[in-house]
Amino acid sequence: MNFTNSQIEDFTIPSLEEVHLKPISKNYFKIIVINKIVVYGIFFLILLMLNRFVDDVAFQDNFWVLFGVLCIFCFIDFTTSYIAFKNRKYAIREHDVIYAKGFLTRSITTVPISRIQHIEESRSWLARQLHLSTLNIFTAGESGSDLTIKGLPKDEAKQINDFLSSKVNGRI
Amino acid sequence: MEEFDFSQPSRQSSKGIIVIFAVNAVKWLRALFPALVALGFGLFRKNSFLTWSPWMIALIIFVLLLLMLGVAVLKYLNFKFHVADDDFHLDTGIIEKDKTIIPKSKIQNVYIQQNFLQQIINVVSLKVESAGDKKSEIEINALSRPMALQLKKALFDRKSATVETNDIFQDEVEANVFFKISIKRLFLEGLLHNHLKSFAIITSFAFGIYYEFKSIIEDLQINDNLDQLTTYEDGLAQVLYLNLLLGFIVLIISIVYSVVRIVIGNFNLEVIENNKTIEISKGLLNKVSLTLTPDKIQNVIVKTNALKRRLNLHSLYVKQAMTNEKQSKNFGIIALEDVHIQHLLDKLLQNYHTSDEKRKPSSYYKRIMAFYSLLFLVLINLIAVVLFDYNALFVNLFLVPFMALSVHYRYKKAYYNITEPFLTVGSGFIDTKKEIINIHKLQAVKLVQNIFQKRRGVASVIVYTASKSVTIPYVNEKQAKSIYDFLLFKVESEGKNWM
Repeated sequence: MNFTNSQIEDFTIPSLEEVHLKPISKNYFKIIVINKIVVYGIFFLILLMLNRFVDDVAFQDNFWVLFGVLCIFCFIDFTTSYIAFKNRKYAIREHDVIYAKGFLTRSITTVPISRIQHIEESRSWLARQLHLSTLNIFTAGESGSDLTIKGLPKDEAKQINDFLSSKVNGRI
Repeated sequence: MEEFDFSQPSRQSSKGIIVIFAVNAVKWLRALFPALVALGFGLFRKNSFLTWSPWMIALIIFVLLLLMLGVAVLKYLNFKFHVADDDFHLDTGIIEKDKTIIPKSKIQNVYIQQNFLQQIINVVSLKVESAGDKKSEIEINALSRPMALQLKKALFDRKSATVETNDIFQDEVEANVFFKISIKRLFLEGLLHNHLKSFAIITSFAFGIYYEFKSIIEDLQINDNLDQLTTYEDGLAQVLYLNLLLGFIVLIISIVYSVVRIVIGNFNLEVIENNKTIEISKGLLNKVSLTLTPDKIQNVIVKTNALKRRLNLHSLYVKQAMTNEKQSKNFGIIALEDVHIQHLLDKLLQNYHTSDEKRKPSSYYKRIMAFYSLLFLVLINLIAVVLFDYNALFVNLFLVPFMALSVHYRYKKAYYNITEPFLTVGSGFIDTKKEIINIHKLQAVKLVQNIFQKRRGVASVIVYTASKSVTIPYVNEKQAKSIYDFLLFKVESEGKNWM
């Protein structure tokens, strides 16, 4: 039997487009921002220190150029990560887990629950303060097929974990 | 036939001492290679090294060898294995004792192998692979062949055995040799191999050697001679000539290299057909025999190229789940005929069928490949001009047609089709590659689309199995989504196992 489009409509296969993808917690953006602030803070600090202690004329003349470039970089990075953050969405269906992400290159990965090997819930210090959780979903496939959903509200992560675990265990 | 009792801890054959000794010697030699080369040069030049006389050095080497022999004997004495209940037990270690227990049900693969030395002293090694990470592999170095076969049988003989594993051994009675390679086809396969890979290996190897021994080469003043060669008046012609000559030499070496590699690796290749499984045995210096089980097979790849197809030479590669990297290289059968391929596909994939209809990626795929090639060419040219001079631009003479052909053929050979329950994806430039997976073996699906693709309304679908991922590149967005939905629907609605 050949694969055709019409055939699919006959079967009324559940479609990806009907799925309502849920954005991850807004709080997670705070974590992204804090991480970035730390990184850029170090960069700016180095630049300012250099300004203070280096007497090289060529450097001093170009200080503001460097400063400007770093500012622009910082700005672009923040906006792109905001857009990328907005694109991080997930959905749990009866039979699978869906995760979408990306800014320039967007991807949507789906793992059928019947293919899940194990699930891990991890929480960094910062995430604990903001009541967030990261869910790692492992399959038997290569690394590209594992899902990592960051920035889930703690309670929801637990619910998802319980739901998936019971389904995975029920299978065996 | 002699019966062996595996319930009591037993040692391997005493010939194992030789094998362990040789394995250690090779390991040491490899580690000490640079030091030995330096020592050799020192001896060569001053007839001494660190004021040691040659006799002294010979004595040191002798003592070292004796020490290694002692270690080998101790290792041999402390290496015991037995099979008890449903577990395989192994005790190793001279000072630090290790005890490994593997439940039989967790054993994934058992290989019987025979390297050159083992062939001489007439023993085989048995490798036991269990599910888990790469280190969970046990090797018994020296067993007589009947003993190895019996142990293999004992390991698969479970009280609570599943039907399939029992079949493996009932099978062997009615085994028949399905395919045996002829010397002529073996050589043809080697000769018509894609030599680009060997070319790259040889070139990088030559560079590696060159940098490793740079100081030595400089000592020998070869560079000066080379400089003299290259500083002739008519520069361009000379450079061109020299480069062509060098390229030609490397090409010859790489052709010889791939022929030798393929002939040695696949010497006496035999495919034995059992009731449910396929057994491959091959190799000249290192004889291997492995079993392919349809349940574990994740991806099947059929490869040929334009010349090989003319001569009816096809290769089949199999990716099995739970197989370590090194072994999986051996899961290939070369020099098969068309009919053999059809038969093996039927056997391994259970009624594989495909249609002639080949669905093509969007023509945007071709344009984007051309664009990337152009980008690559510009970059290469810039580097060439900056690093060398305008003379270096002659590489374009080869590069431009090469890239153009590459884009043309890569697009021409790209296709996909879905004939339930199989997904077939074609690709390749010089080789013609056909990747086949059973939809039920998929672990995850991914839809990828960058902003340029979005504008054009195309997307790629990546299908992951437990061994490998397969990409359906640049298809119409709507189609990509329906493939995505369809694959998931198939997996989720029928609930078949992937292994």
